[in-house]
Amino acid sequence: MKGFTTAALLALFSLNCIAAAEQHSSTDPATGAITWETRAHGVHFALTQILPEQVRAFYVNRGFTLEQIESYATSCVYMTVLRNDDAPGVIHFVSNDWMIRVAGHSHKLTSVEDWWRRMKKNGAKNSALIAFRWAQFPPEQEYRPGGDWNQGMLSVGLAPGRRFDATARWDIKGKAYEATLKGVECAE
Amino acid sequence: MNRYFLALMVIFFAASGAALADGLPPLTHNLTAIDGIVPAPALRLKNLDEEVVDLSALKGRVVVVNFWATWCPPCRREMGSLERLYQATKKSGVEVLAVNIGEDADTVFSFLGTVEPSPDFQMLFDPDAASMDGWEVRGLPTTYIVRPDGTLAYRAVGGREFDHPEIQKRVGALASN
Repeated sequence: MKGFTTAALLALFSLNCIAAAEQHSSTDPATGAITWETRAHGVHFALTQILPEQVRAFYVNRGFTLEQIESYATSCVYMTVLRNDDAPGVIHFVSNDWMIRVAGHSHKLTSVEDWWRRMKKNGAKNSALIAFRWAQFPPEQEYRPGGDWNQGMLSVGLAPGRRFDATARWDIKGKAYEATLKGVECAE
Repeated sequence: MNRYFLALMVIFFAASGAALADGLPPLTHNLTAIDGIVPAPALRLKNLDEEVVDLSALKGRVVVVNFWATWCPPCRREMGSLERLYQATKKSGVEVLAVNIGEDADTVFSFLGTVEPSPDFQMLFDPDAASMDGWEVRGLPTTYIVRPDGTLAYRAVGGREFDHPEIQKRVGALASN
């Protein structure tokens, strides 16, 4: 009886863990862009493909030249959403701590500041750089439970067509949490 | 690179950020109460008529300060609800200041023509994003609600449904105090 109870509890616990990290993907019928999303520890995490042509068009329209934006546009850019639905407290993150795992190797994201410096060095004008900075997913942020969130662009630094796992990390009063999206594809 | 295709994309994105808004989560109506007595940071910017608007001159009124840009999908989504909040509360002394980050008047003006209902509240311009640090804005949109005494009452990070009855009730309660 005791063994059965333990097994039942273990099974229940396992199901609970799976449910907490369930991943969904969907394809926008109009654009063909794929969204991967998951919910873990009360936080919603989603990545939506942005085609390189869309990235170029967005930033050329905001003052960049094609040459200035090319390396960013072809670095696998996602519209990223992180939202604190009902986490057990205020979540804090530094997006530079997030990890990208591809073919058994992990790397951190190129920081917004690094991209900004590269573009400034390439002669991007100030108004374009301001648009770039504020169109990015925040490098650091805090979200209160109940729906604080942001949406912004995030480059994962990979070539078009690559497949990877993306792990978002945050903390609540110093306690670490994370959510991983598996098998995310870079748009071509 | 097909430059004709790029030109079409540029026109598309100039007219709308809708393609980047697909699949977004629904807007919520939660506001975070700000603990303690925190004075609102300074805000002194030009409006569409190039007149200087100073937040400190609005003491005695509840002021909703919304930081936004036309290319920010949740900013676009919440703009109509901000106008409905303004229409529902302006008679009780509520002011809305929408601070545009990094764009020019022509860009903002053409976007406002697409918003239903069209905003009647003040549009301010911060071309260098100089106000962001002082207001501790790390992402767009971010909205603060300022009490009549000039202290911060609430904050919302990310898009909201500002015409939701709960938000109208909270804003109205500040105005009646």
